Amino acid sequence: MSVEKSNAWQALLEHGEAGATSELLKNLFADSSRSERFSIELEEMFLDYSKNRITDTTLELLLDLAEQQQLPDWINKLLCGEEVNDTEHRPAMHAALRAGGLNVQGQALNVQDDIESEFQKMTLIVDRIRSGHWRGFSGKPITDVVNIGVGGSDLGPLMMTTALQTIKSPINLHFISSIDGTQTSNILKKLNQETTLFLLASKSFTTIDTLSNAETAKDWLAEVIDDPKTLLSQHFVGVSTKPEMMSEWGIPEENQLIFWDWVGGRYSMWSTIGLPIALQIGMEGFREMLHGASVMDQHFGSAPLAENIPVLMGLIDVWNINFLDIHAKAILPYDARLKYLPSYFEQLVMESNGKAVNRDGDKVAYKTCPILWGEVGPNAQHAFYQLLHQGTQSVMCDFIAPVERDDFDAHGLSEKDGSLRYQHELALANCFAQSRVLMLGDAAIPETIKEQFNSPFKHYPGNQPSNTILLKSISAKTMGMLVALYEHKTFVESVIWEINPFDQWGVELGKLIAKETHSALKDTKKAEEFDASTQALIKRVI
Amino acid sequence: MRVSIFGCELSGLVTAGALAQTGNKVIALPIGKAKVTDLRKAMMPREEPGLGLLIKNQLEEGSLAFEEDWRTGVEHGEVLILSVPSWRLDRAEAVIDKIGQYATEDLLVVNQSSFPIGTADRFEAKLRLAFAERGLVAKVSVVAMPEFISEGSALSDFTAPDRIVLGSHDADSIKQVRDLMRPFNRITDQIKVMSTRAAEYTKYAVNALLATRISLVNELANNAEHFDIDIEEVRQGLGSDSRVGFSYLYPGCGFGGPSFASDVKNLVETLESKGYDADLLKTVLSNNEAQKEVLFRKAWRYFNTDLKGKTIAIWGLSFKPNTSTVENAPSLKTIEALVAQGAKVRVYDPKAMPDFAVQWSGGAGVELVENMYDALLGADAVFLMTEWKMFWSPDYELMKQKMHTPVIFDGRNIYDQNVLKAHGFRYFGVGRGARV
Repeated sequence: MSVEKSNAWQALLEHGEAGATSELLKNLFADSSRSERFSIELEEMFLDYSKNRITDTTLELLLDLAEQQQLPDWINKLLCGEEVNDTEHRPAMHAALRAGGLNVQGQALNVQDDIESEFQKMTLIVDRIRSGHWRGFSGKPITDVVNIGVGGSDLGPLMMTTALQTIKSPINLHFISSIDGTQTSNILKKLNQETTLFLLASKSFTTIDTLSNAETAKDWLAEVIDDPKTLLSQHFVGVSTKPEMMSEWGIPEENQLIFWDWVGGRYSMWSTIGLPIALQIGMEGFREMLHGASVMDQHFGSAPLAENIPVLMGLIDVWNINFLDIHAKAILPYDARLKYLPSYFEQLVMESNGKAVNRDGDKVAYKTCPILWGEVGPNAQHAFYQLLHQGTQSVMCDFIAPVERDDFDAHGLSEKDGSLRYQHELALANCFAQSRVLMLGDAAIPETIKEQFNSPFKHYPGNQPSNTILLKSISAKTMGMLVALYEHKTFVESVIWEINPFDQWGVELGKLIAKETHSALKDTKKAEEFDASTQALIKRVI
Repeated sequence: MRVSIFGCELSGLVTAGALAQTGNKVIALPIGKAKVTDLRKAMMPREEPGLGLLIKNQLEEGSLAFEEDWRTGVEHGEVLILSVPSWRLDRAEAVIDKIGQYATEDLLVVNQSSFPIGTADRFEAKLRLAFAERGLVAKVSVVAMPEFISEGSALSDFTAPDRIVLGSHDADSIKQVRDLMRPFNRITDQIKVMSTRAAEYTKYAVNALLATRISLVNELANNAEHFDIDIEEVRQGLGSDSRVGFSYLYPGCGFGGPSFASDVKNLVETLESKGYDADLLKTVLSNNEAQKEVLFRKAWRYFNTDLKGKTIAIWGLSFKPNTSTVENAPSLKTIEALVAQGAKVRVYDPKAMPDFAVQWSGGAGVELVENMYDALLGADAVFLMTEWKMFWSPDYELMKQKMHTPVIFDGRNIYDQNVLKAHGFRYFGVGRGARV
């Protein structure tokens, strides 16, 4: 029986029809204990989910739905490394990567030694580069490292190293992902072959985007390096699940780091794919990030559903999407260091749950993943918040902010420290003000100035639900917790919707057709069977 | 004159010895690690030609004494000399506080230390305030007299100086210091009087200019290699130009030592903290750090990036000859780089091995040996890093017997490459035309 016909789902529908879907947040807050009841703290993270259109009954019924869908079993299957990715017949053991050998069972336990031994090898490489003892062909220390990778081999490290930019690194990091080559040609102009190392990160080691950029990098190095062996041994490190293909490409064994096909690309930041993160913050910092994620894993695996942060966030999203008919979600971090977090979550959430068939291959009769996007909150306030406040769409928002900032002395007496403290207060004030106005709408307008808002253009409907996540500070640990939270929350939703979040068949066809189209660019005869639009476009560029 | 000297590092000891020898009653007081008990036995913190003997004689004569209690020093001297390492400004501040507390009469303070520009003026104002608070009516003046001594030749640098720079706005103070320095200012008048800040800046400017010159010469030498030119020939052409001159024209594997680079670094930092940049000087410093590894890079290329298991002999550890210190020496960086690549390193230095043993934190892989030829045992190459006299004309045949392969990387360009080639050596200097 499909979930939308199940008892728990029907009970939620009835609950909605009985009035829950028309609840107004401003009325729900008549209960002053609401925020205390609908918030939860875990170590350095605090979640306020009270600004959602839920009541105690809603939550109870959502938890019934979770039980009915055997969520605890699924969580256990995920964390123990059972085959949760059934279309590709493998487990998804990103949590095993960060377990550090603690509290793991099943297949997740069996892989602990492999993981640790690869992290040991990664430590050697990281220490060598960071200490200045990884030398380029001429004997100078490597100062710049360029990560060539796309998707999961790019976004995670890019997002995390940007988030942790206040940790000073001896290495300048650069990222190349896009197939078009403009990033490559621009970055190479600024770098010197003597002191540049490339990380070739590709799960399959067949990704055309990455390999084409790598060939350009190789050509650039060969302009000054005569010996091809030295070029490869001193200027390339490979990270892949396919050591034999790295060897074939020419990367020597000692420069190869591996991970495994049971790590999904968008979950691979925790594996050796995280090498750029470790180069930025050191291997100790990297392990601190893993520890943060592991704290969330332990919580996800052991906390009762009603006190389980990823479970609560996932269920509330399901309520918003399937019962309140909200199909857009905005990720709004109130710190510029988190500027790639929305892109990262776009991939994590939409590549996982952007699917319309269930695990049995049947088309689902309900909505699944919403459109998710976002931007650094204070910047987005000057862009798309207009739509959030007065558009025709309902949008659910996640506000994310650090309580403390570590990039200035919070008790410093200098004027600059004072100004930065003031700016941080402003950012937090804006974060809290926006979620309040989205929730209350006109009701947030103070009595004394109500008159000024007496216009149809100045009407704020409000009632937009949101979560607010406060991190003690932006650190390796809290970032590990935050990302793991969204991974698990995404999994929770997939369990309710009965879909496999770990495959991504939707992206395959386009790759295939691109190859065909590329040959048509070389030989226009091949384009003759294409549609008229594509033919016309091809004509314009050749 | 009654003179008290605060600071018993090289500069303080040289000043104390030389002033005691010329008839002054001198008390010297350590401000850092040096122990009075050692100093009283004329045990020097580091080796310096002639210094130990001078101190010993002056102690015996009774014209020099070492004391622990700063108050004794303050009460003893008409002239108080600050001779404190640049990184111990805090200790100098403490001395000034002590002077403010215990001085009883007119006072002349001479600062020899390399502190940020404006420090002498600030000390003077501080002392005035302290006197006023105590109701003491006495004249006080702080004169800047930067030291220009070099390790290895410190005594002669002090007693027969190129010039003595005096910075003060007060004619009486100048007169008094002139009198104190008269024995060292005999042939022609070498005393240059200027404003206090100009005197302080002169010290930085000299080091900045010399450091820049060395780094530029190194860069010219490195580039010469790309054109198969021997920089030694070019050096003759360059030095004979009277606008250029021959001094500080030797390329090599970088400069080191306790004060040279740190003076330039301090100047850069002071400028940057005021919002100005010092691009050229920053480049000079980073070029020099890179130059310290020039021999490593040559060996790296010579051995095709694989130094693992290779044995490298190092001749010379100290940052220059005639000194026992390895502070900031190119040898430290070079050995660290070699060890990190898995090379075995055998080192010999006639004086600096004890200091190296203290400063080396790079772990195993380095063996200190007692004889320059023992260092060569089984070596795949030798690095000449300090031009101690004993290395200039070695027994080439004995070297070849000891070495696994006769390869020399000459970081100070002291050898004649034709002679070495005739003896069957592969030779690589700094900018000597042979590119690896």
